[in-house]
Amino acid sequence: MDYISPQTYNSTLSFSLSLALNPIRKDKSSKFLNLLSMDLTGLKWLQQHQQMVSPEFLQILGSDGREELRRVESYLGNNLDELQNFRPGYDTIDGCISRTSSFQMEPVKSNEENRVVALQNKRKPEGKRETREKKKKIKAEDETESSMKGNSDMSNTETSSDVLKQDYIHVRARRGEATDRHSLAERARREKISKKMKCLQDIVPGCNKVTGKAGMLDEIINYVQSLQQQVEFLSMKLSFLNPQLEFHIHELSSMMADQRSFPLHQQGSLDYSVINSNQTTSLNALKMETSLSWDVHSQCLYNNLRTDSVFSFFSLK
Amino acid sequence: MERQIINKKKRVFSVEPNKIPPSEVFTRKYTRLLVPALKKLNMNKNSSQANQLTVKHEVDMALALSAQEFAWSRFLLQKLSSSNNPTTTTSSSSNGIRIQKRSGKEGGDEDGEIEEKLRELQKLLPGGEEMNVEEMLGEIGNYIKCLELQTIALKSIVEDTT
Repeated sequence: MDYISPQTYNSTLSFSLSLALNPIRKDKSSKFLNLLSMDLTGLKWLQQHQQMVSPEFLQILGSDGREELRRVESYLGNNLDELQNFRPGYDTIDGCISRTSSFQMEPVKSNEENRVVALQNKRKPEGKRETREKKKKIKAEDETESSMKGNSDMSNTETSSDVLKQDYIHVRARRGEATDRHSLAERARREKISKKMKCLQDIVPGCNKVTGKAGMLDEIINYVQSLQQQVEFLSMKLSFLNPQLEFHIHELSSMMADQRSFPLHQQGSLDYSVINSNQTTSLNALKMETSLSWDVHSQCLYNNLRTDSVFSFFSLK
Repeated sequence: MERQIINKKKRVFSVEPNKIPPSEVFTRKYTRLLVPALKKLNMNKNSSQANQLTVKHEVDMALALSAQEFAWSRFLLQKLSSSNNPTTTTSSSSNGIRIQKRSGKEGGDEDGEIEEKLRELQKLLPGGEEMNVEEMLGEIGNYIKCLELQTIALKSIVEDTT
C-alpha cells in the first residue's frame, strides 16, 4: 500500500491532533494503524472522527476552543485539493502519526482554566505548503499536561524549514495574510494586546457598551482617574477625622490578631504570592475570618465586587 | 483508632495558603498597615500642619506595601521614598480637560490617537512610562483592582468613625 487517499491523511492528521491531547490513548494509535492497513475508506470515518475530536478538544481548550477547532477544520478542508499530489510511502504513516500536528492555543480569559495547550505543527515540507504555513516563535508556556508535552517532544521530528523549540508560541498565518517575520511579530503583538484589552473590559465597568480600542481606552482612563480622585477625597476626609479616629483605633488595634509594628516603611512579607501563579481557582464566597467590626464591614462591601475578574486578573502574568 | 483520630486532627490543622483569595489578602494587609500608621500620626503630630499630605502619603504607602507582588507598587514606593513632599497620584483637572479636547478632534489619525491614550494611561500608572505597552496593560488591571479595594477599605474606615 503505497498510496494514501487524502481523506485518510486528513483523518490521520485529525487523529494525531487528538493524540497530542490525550496521551492515554496511545493504545488507540495501534488500533488505528490496523484500521489503515485494512484499507479504510475516508470521508465517513473522517467525519465521524472529527466529531470525536471536538469534545476532547473543547474540554481542554475551554470556551474558545470551538473557534480554534473550526479554524483548524477549515484549514484541513482547504488542503484537500493539495493533498491529491501527496503520496507518502507506507513507512511514513508511522511518521505521520508520531508527528503530531499541533499549534499552540492560548486561552483568552477563562475563569475556570488557565491552561495552555501546546501542540506542535508539523507537516511534510512541500513548496506550496510552506508558504501557507509559517511559524513565528514567541515565548510559550505549558504548565499543565507535562506528559503531553513529553509526548509531543518525542514526536519532534525536524522539518527542513524550522526547528521548533518548546519555549515558543506558534502563530499560524492565515490564508491571504503576509507571512514574513515582521508582520507575524506585529500580529502576535497585536493579538496579545487585544487579549489584554478584553480582560480590562471585564474589570472596568461600562466598557462593554463602547466598541473599539480608543473608546475603551478612554473609559479606562476615566475610570482610573475617578478611582484615584476617590482615594484622594477619602484620604482628605480621613485627615479631617483623624483626631477622632484615635478612640476607635485604640479599640481596633487591640483587637487585631497580628498587629504590624511601626514604622510603616518596614517591608512586609507576603503570606500569599500571586507572582507567576498560573493556576486559577474559582472564587467562591469570601470567608469572613475575623470578627473586627470594620473588617467585616469592608468585606461585606467588596463581596459585591466582581471577584471572578479580580482573581483572573491577579493571576495573569 | 486513636491514631486515626490523631491523624485526623493533624490533617484539620493544615491550612493551604493557596485558597485565600488575593483580594481578601490585599485588603487585610492594607488595613493592618494603614490603621496603625494613622494612629501613629495621631500621636506624633499635634498640629494639623500638612496633615492632609502626610495622610495621603501614608495611604499611598499602605497601598504600595500591600501589593508588593506587582511592578507598579515598586515604582510607587520609589516615588514615595524619594520625595519628601509627596506628589499626589492624581492630577485630575488637567487630564480631564485634555481628554475632552481629544474627543472633539476629528478622528483622522486613529492609530495616533490610540497611541496618545496609551501614553496617557501610562502616566496614570506609577511606573507606567518605564514599561512597554503590553506589560502596562496587564499592570493597569491589577492596579485598578487594588485601587478599588483601597477605596472600599478607606470608606469603611471613615464610615466607622462617623
